[in-house]
Amino acid sequence: MRSIRRSSELVRSALAALALAGVGCSNELPAPLPSAATDASQPRRGGMLTTASFGDIRTLDPANVADGLVPQILESMFAGLIDYDVEGKIVPDLAERWTVSEDGTQFRFVLREGVRFHDGEELTADDVKRSVERALHPTSPNPYASYLASISGFARFVGGKAEHLDGVTVDGRYVVTFRLDAPDAAFLPLLAMPPLRPVCRSGGTRYVETWHPCGAGPFKLLPGGWDHGRQITVVRHDGYFRPGLPYLDAVRTLFHVNLTSQRFKFTTGDQDILRDFLSPDLLKFQADPRWKPYGEYELDKQVAGLAMNTEMAPFDNIELRRAIASALDREHLVLIRAANMRPANLPVPPAVEGYDATLKGQTFDLTAALEHMKRAGYAYDPVARTGGYPTPIPYTTYSQGIDEYMVQVTMQQLARIGIRLDVRVVDYAAFLALRGRRKQVAFGPAFWTQDYPEAGSFLEPLFHSRSINDEESNNSAFYANPRVDELVDRARHELDAARRKKIYGEAQEIICDEAPWAFTHYYRFYAQWHPYVRDYKPHPMATTDPTRVWIDRVAGRTAARAVFSGDVYAKLFGDGSPRGAPLSRSAGPR
Amino acid sequence: MIARLGRRLVWAVFVVWATVTLAFVVSHALPSDAVRMVAGPQARPQDIARIRSELGLDQSLWVQYARFMSRLVHVAPAGAPQGDKAHATCAPLVGRLHLDLGKSAQQRRPVVTILAERMPRTLVLALAAAFVQVLLGVSAGVLAASRKKTAIDHLAVGVSLLGISAPTFIIGLFFQWFFAYRLRLLPLDGWGDTFMGHVASVILPALTLGVFGAAYYTRMVRDEMIGQLGQDYIRTARAKGLSRRAVVVRHALRNALMPIVTILGIDVGTLIGGAIVTESIFRWPGIGSLSVTAMLDRDGPVIMGCVLVTAVAVVLSTIAVDFVYAALDPRVRAEQ
Repeated sequence: MRSIRRSSELVRSALAALALAGVGCSNELPAPLPSAATDASQPRRGGMLTTASFGDIRTLDPANVADGLVPQILESMFAGLIDYDVEGKIVPDLAERWTVSEDGTQFRFVLREGVRFHDGEELTADDVKRSVERALHPTSPNPYASYLASISGFARFVGGKAEHLDGVTVDGRYVVTFRLDAPDAAFLPLLAMPPLRPVCRSGGTRYVETWHPCGAGPFKLLPGGWDHGRQITVVRHDGYFRPGLPYLDAVRTLFHVNLTSQRFKFTTGDQDILRDFLSPDLLKFQADPRWKPYGEYELDKQVAGLAMNTEMAPFDNIELRRAIASALDREHLVLIRAANMRPANLPVPPAVEGYDATLKGQTFDLTAALEHMKRAGYAYDPVARTGGYPTPIPYTTYSQGIDEYMVQVTMQQLARIGIRLDVRVVDYAAFLALRGRRKQVAFGPAFWTQDYPEAGSFLEPLFHSRSINDEESNNSAFYANPRVDELVDRARHELDAARRKKIYGEAQEIICDEAPWAFTHYYRFYAQWHPYVRDYKPHPMATTDPTRVWIDRVAGRTAARAVFSGDVYAKLFGDGSPRGAPLSRSAGPR
Repeated sequence: MIARLGRRLVWAVFVVWATVTLAFVVSHALPSDAVRMVAGPQARPQDIARIRSELGLDQSLWVQYARFMSRLVHVAPAGAPQGDKAHATCAPLVGRLHLDLGKSAQQRRPVVTILAERMPRTLVLALAAAFVQVLLGVSAGVLAASRKKTAIDHLAVGVSLLGISAPTFIIGLFFQWFFAYRLRLLPLDGWGDTFMGHVASVILPALTLGVFGAAYYTRMVRDEMIGQLGQDYIRTARAKGLSRRAVVVRHALRNALMPIVTILGIDVGTLIGGAIVTESIFRWPGIGSLSVTAMLDRDGPVIMGCVLVTAVAVVLSTIAVDFVYAALDPRVRAEQ
């Protein structure tokens, strides 16, 4: 009798578990966790904001920004002379104001007085010059040093022939001047990026790997705050120069969190902002009216396409390149990840200064593509399926990236004009090495993310002949056109935004016509947050700027650390599941 | 015994050297550029060249290998000052004997420091997983063998088949979803911040690895036990009036465990080398996830460090198994 009862309990439990699994696997998203007072407009101090990423950071030094994740943490720790606001406009930060000389070669910054570093020291013009020299010194592993080559004396300083950088001068305790060799439209955007941000005197005059990061940003890193490979927690800098800010006590970023775990953490409130989505999840969040008000796209900062090596056959034939650019149905291609990708027709993404919506760019036109094939000498009859390019073209791509899927659609689309591909898949590191090597990769995926929000950030590295090298070539199409070179150089020295846009427009028209790339899509990220995360807006450069964010949370869902802390049976069969109402736990840091 | 141990250790040094050398050659032969991975996909050639020179990667392969081997285990000069830059990336082994794996190209920290952070976490997971797989595997195997051809036997065999068939990422995700997300009994992932946090955090990854490994152990113990239970000495033991439990546990199980000891030793060695998938799912900061990241980033010094740890762990555990085997089995002892 006892064993029968046991058996029936076993069966019942097994069935319940199956039923539970069925419920858990349903398509319904749990409700967002509400804020304490939906109409509260007065920011509340306290709490910790938790974000996560599948990636990791490598170093925490503005002089060595070597991964895509670290800028958002640097943004919270290091204030710059200038910065971007949430609308993408350059605004004063540590600098109270600045003036530009008439010839555009001198930038004079007047610093705010009384700004304190995390260690309590006052920030002065000397610190600005010291930090710039520290970041650009030849012993610094700064991967962006050469971007600042327009500063006077750069070559001598980087070449080790000068102790100091002549182009940066201290003109008073709170005044610092940058002199350039020639007008440079990219200078201010570059200055707003992390590499030249002032660091504490403990950072010294040269890059040292063992330095404890210290700046003048709204949050600071305490000893032990960074558990490498796991998480980093930065806490409020009470001496931050903007009174009352930041509101949060701390910001925590978790690393190496896979997408499934992030979804679990986010919906249970253990993570406050979600940015890395499984593709189906993103569509669900966007379609759910409960979540929609708390999600927003970040700016398009990345362009992608297919790079055709103009030095290698068959892509030394311009008509063949044009045929491929015309044969791609971009509206169809982007369906692979419709929530993140938008069809691209130009090399400069829409959110970047220099984008011109009036330009036609590359468009899908099958008839034109067939005509280009004919002019290339490879006429193709799509009805009889005869002709076309005689042999499969090698296409080198990398594993575990979106292109693994895209190339399958690309193959189908190019087959319509008589082009077959021989796809070779290598790993990402090998792909990066191969694509930059001269006469190595004929055809393959290409992508570029803005280094600074200006068209030159795309056109110069990708299509200027100066960017061609035997190894490590960023111009992976090995495309050279003197007219494009001249336009890109002229635009960089043109300080008038309207005239610069026109020059960039002409360059883009040539590039689209000569098709060293067939542009496919712009990629944009989507951020989702809980209603209790207040005043959050994705930062145009650093993704997340927590300076003005505040938390208005009544019922946090703390991770259940106490084993069997509640009625397990009720959790299994009752409404104790994460999709129910929030548990009544107190607010505050978790 | 001492002489035998000495011979085995000399052989172990050779095996570790050969493994490390092979890994060095292979990691440099790959068609990729470690400096590009350090500087980022968009760095300019002039910046890449500067960083390459700074990391010493502009030297020939032989120069790099000679430098690596000469630094790997070396004797520090007597009276070297504290914080000597020449030994900033070293870890003292014994006395003035230092281990130096260089510094990570990506993290810019000594590799020995990174490994020292990861090793305790990896050991905890490896030992916990080994405990789970032995406990579950041996219990289920003994139960199945002693209840041969009953429902319990069929259940144990069926469950073990399921365990072998299901990959760890399925088991791990299920455990994560059920115990952490639905029931909220245990942390979803991570390492925890307190002692109890560490204990709670290790349960799910250890169960994931343990269930997978236990499936093999169940089958092996069951087969071995069935073989042992049919032996004459078991019949004799029963005839002498020993209880069923005493016969199974004291006589049959002891003999049936011999192959388990062999497998367990190698398993522990491999687990110390890192449970790559499980560590990734549970964000366990161990050697496995470090190896994957280092390989993807082409971080040569860290790759060499991970290879060294794995090679040493497997070689030492194999030696340990040999000695344990001899201790358990008088026949092996007599042969030696």
